[in-house]
Amino acid sequence: MSSSLVRSVVAFCRVLRARGVPVTAAESLDAVRAVVAVDVSDREDVRNALRAVLTTSHQDLAIFDDLFDAFWHTRSGPDAVPGRSHVRSTRPPNAESQTSRVSLENWMRKGESSDEVVQVRQASTLEASAQRDLVNLAAGDQEDIDRLARRIARRMALKPSRRWRARPRGRRIDLRRTMRSLLRTGGDAAILARRERIIRRTRLVVLCDVSGSMELYARLLLRFVHALQNAFARVETFVFSTRLTRVTPFFRRASYAQALGAMGEHVRDFSGGTKIGEALAAFADGWPELLDSRTVVLVLSDGWDTGEPRMVDEALTRIARRAGRVVWLNPLMGSPDFSPETRAMRAAMPHVDVLASAHNVESLQALARHLVL
Amino acid sequence: MESESYVTDRSIATAVFLASTLGKPLLVEGHPGVGKTDIAKVLARVRDTDLIRLQCYEGLDATTALYEWNYPRQLLHIKLHEAHGDDPNATEASLFSDRFLLKRPLLAAIAHKGKPPVLLIDEVDRSDEEFEAFLLEILSDFQVTIPELGTIRAEVKPLVVLTSNRSRELSEALRRRCLYLWIDYPTLEKELRIVRTKVPEANEQLAREISAFMQTLRRISLVKSPGLSETLDWAMALVALHADHLDQELVRETLGCVLKDEADLRRVGEQLDQGKLSEMIGLVA
Repeated sequence: MSSSLVRSVVAFCRVLRARGVPVTAAESLDAVRAVVAVDVSDREDVRNALRAVLTTSHQDLAIFDDLFDAFWHTRSGPDAVPGRSHVRSTRPPNAESQTSRVSLENWMRKGESSDEVVQVRQASTLEASAQRDLVNLAAGDQEDIDRLARRIARRMALKPSRRWRARPRGRRIDLRRTMRSLLRTGGDAAILARRERIIRRTRLVVLCDVSGSMELYARLLLRFVHALQNAFARVETFVFSTRLTRVTPFFRRASYAQALGAMGEHVRDFSGGTKIGEALAAFADGWPELLDSRTVVLVLSDGWDTGEPRMVDEALTRIARRAGRVVWLNPLMGSPDFSPETRAMRAAMPHVDVLASAHNVESLQALARHLVL
Repeated sequence: MESESYVTDRSIATAVFLASTLGKPLLVEGHPGVGKTDIAKVLARVRDTDLIRLQCYEGLDATTALYEWNYPRQLLHIKLHEAHGDDPNATEASLFSDRFLLKRPLLAAIAHKGKPPVLLIDEVDRSDEEFEAFLLEILSDFQVTIPELGTIRAEVKPLVVLTSNRSRELSEALRRRCLYLWIDYPTLEKELRIVRTKVPEANEQLAREISAFMQTLRRISLVKSPGLSETLDWAMALVALHADHLDQELVRETLGCVLKDEADLRRVGEQLDQGKLSEMIGLVA
């Protein structure tokens, strides 16, 4: 194959790299092999071939098509061989190929000088979206939340324990029990005993403060909880401000908007004042069967309480004694000068296993590890 | 591929062609029901070779995918030899041989003799990260080491097709190893051709109206957008009802073939009640 074609394919790989599509050297090589394998004179074939080799995900496709058009910008015609478009043409350059070369040189310069810079900018926009406060959540982030929820839900449902249990159709042979049964028969008519790892399911109980000061964060955490519950049945959700309401049934609705709507009808004190202690006590009294060592209790509240801190202490003592783990999410932790200074927060701290923030997607990601026992 | 009644377009054809020419695995992604799995099936038919399928699921582990020893048979074997009073060493030597090995899909693909088989690893996004890492190792070397038997190396490299519904992001390493193909929802022309090919009993008007209606549905934001398999189910249902065109009544009764979510059904139902059917199949004109 002509060396100019090789050169232009390699150059194209560089351009892609500059735009944040990570192309390795091995892929450049494959790209050249792919172009050789197809009909070089057919622009669409070349496009499809390069796309198959050089992209690795759906997100890359738009960038790829964009760049492909810019890079192999040629007049359509039988002799519009892609590899020639930017190689110094023997034909007199017309206006069109002139512009194409200019735009191409721009790309190339970008590729050479600002390679690093482009990469960094990519990373930081991603980071920015993960760090953005949940309050200003964009539509794309919703998808992130859903995906994250599904992943966490799976871990919660399928965490294998280190222990085994006997199961007739288990994956592994249980050697000890097989030997035992062989003793009984004197080595005849062997029935293989099998065993399998116990799956430890975690139950999640969410107690979410929906008082006025928490309104925005609560809505967004509930969004996350809704996604979790849709992917995983063992989630119980309660909301409280001055009183506690179980909202699990409303969350079984398909869409979050519907769930919020149903909740709005039944929870009268949405965005009212806060009595954390009483709400926690009401939970410990009313739903003791939800608390066992396989339960993670997740409390979302900023700790601004109009009730007695002593009640927080008492109720949380009871909850913490029976639950596997108590996680307290305080969105105010997102601000750098936070310390758990409110009275309710100070009363709660001795019983809380994990104090975490929940003000952006990134902090929800960090939360994942605390949700699986 | 068209001869096997798989209506394709050039991007699919090129990707499949390259996968076999360059000998790299092909990773196919796309919405549910656009024919990802069918690529592997058709490929096996076209190349007249075996299709070995590994369906991934949560908790799938290496043993289930690779190989297992047939323990009951081994025990039986020991008992028989004991009864004959055979040399225990000889018995032991014969115990771990090919005939007691249960080949699971991955080993079956590697140990395959003759024409290179097509190995379909379906819904790879449903397996967990550990399995994905294991898969990566297999796909790069096409060899497996069984402690009792030694290393088995593929004589012919199987043609690998992986499909994913993007329920989870696959690792970058696995993506790098593969050619990538994204299958989008079909265009009106392509969908029409598919209906004609797969449901030849449907007359031209019905086929056109079905395709146009589906195209409109995908443009409305629904909880579950219908794929191609829904189109074909619906077309077959309508043919079974001896329909030759769409009318409001008929669409209402059969909408369950297409929409699998209660809220979606209600939503489209409302639009039908407002007499928007002709608008929804208006693309035909």
